[in-house]
Amino acid sequence: MLLSYRWLERHIDLTGTDAEEVARLLTLHTAEVEGVERVLPHLDDVVVGFVVERQKHPDADKLSLCRVDVGTGENLSIVCGAPNVDAGQKVAVARVGTVLPGDFKIKKSKIRGQESHGMICSVRELELGDEHDGIWVLAEDAEVGTPVSGAVGLLDWALEIDNKAITHRPDLWGHRGMARELAAILDRELHPLDLTLPETGGAAGAPVRIETEGCTRYVALEVGNVRTGGSPPWLRHLLLSVGQRPIELTVDVSNFVMLDLGQPNHLFDRARVGGEGIVVRDARAGESLTTLDGMERKLETADMLICSGDEPVALAGVMGGEASMVADETTALLLEVASFHAATVRRTSARLGLRTDASARFEKSLDPNLPIQAAAHLVRTLAAIQPDIELPSPPTDAGPWTDPSVELELRPERLRKLLGAPIEDTEIARMLGKLDFVVVPGDPLRVRVPSFRATKDVSIEEDLIEEVGRLYGLTRIAEAELTAAVRPVPRDARRDAVRAIQDRLAGGARFHEVLTYSFLPEELCTEVGAESETCVEVVNPVSEGWQRVRRSVVPSLLGLLQRNLRNTDDVRLFEVGKGYLPEHTDERGQPREVHEVGMVWAAPAPGKRARFDADRLSELKGVVEELLAEFTATFTWSAASDERPRWSHPGRRLVASSPGRDGTQQELAFLSGLDPRIARSLGVAADVAVARLSIDALLALPDRGSRYTSLPKFPGVKIDVALAVPEERRAAELVHAIERAGKGLVADVELFDLYRGEQVGEGRKSLAYHVLLQSETKTLSDKDGQKFLARIEQEAEKLGGELRKE
Amino acid sequence: MASFDDLERLREEGLTRVREAAGGEALRALEREYLEKGGVVTSLLAEIPKLEPTARRDAGIGANRLKGEIEGALAARREELLEAELAREAGGAFDATLPAAPSQRGSLHPITQVTREVEEIFTAMGYRVLDGPEVELDFYNFQALNIPADHPAREHQDTFWCDEEQNLVLRTQTSPVQIRAMETLEPPFRVIAPGRVFRNEACDATHEHTFHQVEGLVVGEDVNVGHLIGTLKGFLGEIFRRETDVRLRPGFFPFVEPGFEVDVRCPFCESGCRVCSDTTWIEYCGCGMVHPHVLRAGGIDPERWSGFAFGMGLDRLVMMRHRIDDIRHFMGGDLRFLTQF
Repeated sequence: MLLSYRWLERHIDLTGTDAEEVARLLTLHTAEVEGVERVLPHLDDVVVGFVVERQKHPDADKLSLCRVDVGTGENLSIVCGAPNVDAGQKVAVARVGTVLPGDFKIKKSKIRGQESHGMICSVRELELGDEHDGIWVLAEDAEVGTPVSGAVGLLDWALEIDNKAITHRPDLWGHRGMARELAAILDRELHPLDLTLPETGGAAGAPVRIETEGCTRYVALEVGNVRTGGSPPWLRHLLLSVGQRPIELTVDVSNFVMLDLGQPNHLFDRARVGGEGIVVRDARAGESLTTLDGMERKLETADMLICSGDEPVALAGVMGGEASMVADETTALLLEVASFHAATVRRTSARLGLRTDASARFEKSLDPNLPIQAAAHLVRTLAAIQPDIELPSPPTDAGPWTDPSVELELRPERLRKLLGAPIEDTEIARMLGKLDFVVVPGDPLRVRVPSFRATKDVSIEEDLIEEVGRLYGLTRIAEAELTAAVRPVPRDARRDAVRAIQDRLAGGARFHEVLTYSFLPEELCTEVGAESETCVEVVNPVSEGWQRVRRSVVPSLLGLLQRNLRNTDDVRLFEVGKGYLPEHTDERGQPREVHEVGMVWAAPAPGKRARFDADRLSELKGVVEELLAEFTATFTWSAASDERPRWSHPGRRLVASSPGRDGTQQELAFLSGLDPRIARSLGVAADVAVARLSIDALLALPDRGSRYTSLPKFPGVKIDVALAVPEERRAAELVHAIERAGKGLVADVELFDLYRGEQVGEGRKSLAYHVLLQSETKTLSDKDGQKFLARIEQEAEKLGGELRKE
Repeated sequence: MASFDDLERLREEGLTRVREAAGGEALRALEREYLEKGGVVTSLLAEIPKLEPTARRDAGIGANRLKGEIEGALAARREELLEAELAREAGGAFDATLPAAPSQRGSLHPITQVTREVEEIFTAMGYRVLDGPEVELDFYNFQALNIPADHPAREHQDTFWCDEEQNLVLRTQTSPVQIRAMETLEPPFRVIAPGRVFRNEACDATHEHTFHQVEGLVVGEDVNVGHLIGTLKGFLGEIFRRETDVRLRPGFFPFVEPGFEVDVRCPFCESGCRVCSDTTWIEYCGCGMVHPHVLRAGGIDPERWSGFAFGMGLDRLVMMRHRIDDIRHFMGGDLRFLTQF
C-alpha cells in the first residue's frame, strides 16, 4: 500500500520530519516501509512558462507559434498544436533536454519551417490524467521558471508499506490510521476530522433488506443534485501521489474516502438502482454479473450480492456492476458503505482472482463503526467541492452489527517481565492513550480497546504488551543472556546417523551431496518408469506435471545424471532426503515419511581386461558395505525380490538386511544396476549403479556393539587357492567351503581373481582367493597348510569343482 | 681378477669413478661393482682366507681400508649430487604452476555445511535439534500456530495443498515443529529444527519454491524479549564470525505476540552497499514471544511459562556468506556448483 507524505500532513503536523524520517519511524514502530519515492519526479524538470505572445503558424492552420517566458530572460519559441493555447496563460513547459514519461526526450526541432525549442504539455503528456484536448493551463499565481511540481503542489513522496506487515491491522489501510500511529510515535495531536453526517431531508430513504450472514451492516444514503466531471487539483494530486488515476469527481471522492479512512464504499447511479429497495443476499447457483471491468462473472452460492430488487448490481465487497455505475449523465447517487464478513469476501475474491482495493480491506475485518463515519466523510468532502448537493433523506442503516470494542486487563508487572524493560505504569497508560485506548489506572490496568483495533487484532493482554513495546521502542530493550541448569543435550540418533553417512560418502567415497526437489516431475517419472506408483499429490502444483511428491530420492538423482555426465565422466551423487508413502497413512491423515540416503554412481563401463570388481555395482557395493559396517556387523546380502522399482536392473539387484531390535528382519539397503532401458530413456550411456539406504531401518538395529577383536598372538600362514567350479556356484558357497576346510583357522578370505575361459572350460569359472590361516594357540606350520589344501580339494569336489594347481 | 698388488691402482680408479659419477643410477652401479656380492672389493675380502697366514693381516687391513674409502666416497658423492639437485631446483628449475593432481574427495552440500554450523552453535548453548515432517498436517502448519482456516495470513504463504480438503500441506515453515516439540517435551526446553520448506511461487534468481529454514523455540520461566535479542545477537555473531548488531522492529506472525522482524547490521560494509541496499541493515528473520494460544495448543500453561521463537532462512545465509547470486543453484544438482564447497 502507498502512503502520501502530503496526505499524511492533512491529518498531522509533520514539521521537523521528512518522508525518509517518517518511513524510518513507521518501520521501527508500526510496519515496514519498503521504500520511499518521489511522486511524479519528471515534474521537477518541467517548468512554469508564461505565454508572452501567440501567433498563427504561417504555414499550418492548426498550429500556433508561441513565445514563452520560462524565467531565463530569453523567450523560447515553441510551436504548439493545442487549440486552447493563448497569450497570458501560465503553462507547463518541457524544455530541450527534458525527458518525459515513456522515455520521450524533448529535442530542438523544426515544424513546418519554424523552430521549436520545447513543448507546452498537456495533462496526459505529464501522466496526470487522460485529458488531451488541449494544453494544461496552470493557476495564474504559478511562479514562472519554477518546477511545475512545486508550483502546483505536487512535491510529494510515496511511502510503500509492506502489505504483509499490516494484514492484522484493518485500521492501517488508510492515511488517517497511519497518521494516528505517527501521532503516538511523535507524541503529537491528530488534526480533528468531522465525521458526523450533515443534516438531511426527511424523505424516505431506499429500503435495505439483508438476507445473508455475510453482511453485518449496510448504510445507504441518497445524494442528489450531483454534477459529474473533473476533480479539483488537490484531489487529483492526492490520488496521483498514491498511484491512483483520477477518473471523475464522484468516483475520485469515493476512492479518496477509502484511502483516507480505509473503508471501501460504492456509488450507484440512483436512477438505475434502489427503486425497489436494496437487497443483500447470497448468489444463487448459475447467476452471473458483469462487473465494472466489463467481465462477466459466474457466481456461486458462497458469493454475496448487492441487488436492486432482485437484480444483482454489485459483487459485495469486491466490485460493482457495470450496469449501475455512475455515468456522465448521473445526477443522483446511492452511496453504499457496508460491513462485510471478511472470509466471504476473501473467498470470492480468491476464487475469481479478483483482488481489489476494496476486497483487500474487507478481508482484514473492518470496524463496523466505520460505515456511517465514512458516509459522512464522503458527503462532507463532496459538499466542499459542490456545496449545493442535496441529502433528501436520512441514511438507511441496516444490519445486526455490534460494537466490537472490549475491555482487557493489563498487569504492568507482567508487561515488564515479558518485555524485559522497565516501563512505568504512567508511561504505559500514556502510550496506549495516544493510540485511542482508554486506560483506567490500577493493578491490573483496565484498558478499553477502540473498536477499530478490536475486530481481530487486539483481544488479549499480550496484544497490549506488543502495543506498548513497539511504541516504547524495541531497540531500547537491553539484550540479556538466558541462564539454565547445565546438563548434556540428549543426542539424536537420527542426526548422528545422517552425519556419519554424509561424512563417509563425502570423504573417502568421493561422493558429492546434492539436494533435489521433493517433487517428481511427470517427465522424469515417465523416464524412470514410475508412472504406476502412487504418490502424495499436490493439488496446486507450481507448474504443470509437478504434482507428485516423491516416494524416494532415487529418481531425482537419476534425473541429474545426463546433465552432469556432459561435464565429467565420473558422477557420484548422494542425497539424504524424505519420501512419502500415501498407502500408509495414519489415522490423522498423514502419509508415512521414509528417510533415506540415495546414491548413484555413473562412470564409463570397465574395459574387458578390468578386474572382476571394477564395475560400478561392485564398487558401490563396497561403499554401501562400508556405510552399513558403521551400524551393524551382521548384515547379509541376498538377491532382491521381483517387486522392485522399474529403474532397477532385473538381473543385478540385491538387498542387505539384518535383524532389528524387535527381531524383525530390516531391509537396510537396496542396491542395483540401472535397467538399460531406463538408462536409454534417461539418455545415459555410462555404467550406472544405484543404492538406497533406509535410515529408518538403520535406526531400528540393535547397538553396534564392540568392534574390537584381540590382535593375533602367533603368525599365520598365507595360502592362495584357485577353485574352478560350475558357473552356477555362488561366491558365498566357495567362501563357506574354504571356512569348512580351515576348521576354524580361517582368519581372512579375499577374492583376487575371477576367470572364465579356455583354461577352465565352458560353463565353468575360476575364483582365486588369498586365505589367511591363523591359530590363537600356536604358530602354524607348513604341515597345517598342506592339511588345509587337502581338505579344500575335497570341498571343491563337493561343489562339482576342483582345486586348480599350477 | 683384481689382486692385492693392485690395491693402490684399484683405490685410485675406484675413488675417481665415484667422484665423477653423474647421478644416482651410476652410483648404484658402482656400489654393486665394488661392494656387493661378487664385487671387486668383496671378492678381494673373500680371497683373504686363501692367502699365506703371514700375508693375511696386511691384505685384510688394505682391503678393508679400500672398502671404507669407497663407501665414504659413495656417501660423499651422493650428498654432493643431492646438494646440486636442491640448488638447481632452488634456482628456479621447479615449476610451481604445474597443475596439481586432482583432489580425491567428495563434498557436502553448502546448505548441509551451514546447517551443521547452526546446529553446533545452538547445541553448545543447550538446544536440542529436532526434525519434523515435510508433508505436514494443516493442524501443525497453521491451526495450532494461531492461523485458523480463514486467517488472511494464509494468503501470503503460497501454500502447496496435498488434498482438496486442505488437511495436508507441504509445510510452509519450520514452525510446526514448535508444536511437535511442545507435545513431546516438558518445559523448560530449548530446541532448534532445521529443514526444508515449500512456498508455491515461481523460481528466479532470488525465489525458490523449495528452501531451508531453521526454527528456534525456547520455553522457560521468565523468558523475555531481552533474552531473545541476546540469543540472536550471540548466534549471529558466531555465524558471521564478527560482532553483529541486531535491530528488532514490529512484525506480524500470528504465532507470536509480540512479533518482530529482525534486521542484522550488514556484515559486508560500514556505510551501505549493494547487499543491504545502502541501508546497512539486512532483514534477516522473524521472531517473537510465543503466543499464548500456541503455548496452549502445545499443552503448556502460558501463565506459568513464557517463551520465544524465531525462524530464519538458511539459503540466504549461505548466499550471503559465499556471495552466491542465484538461489536456484542449491537445488540444481550441478557438480560444477557443488564441487566448489
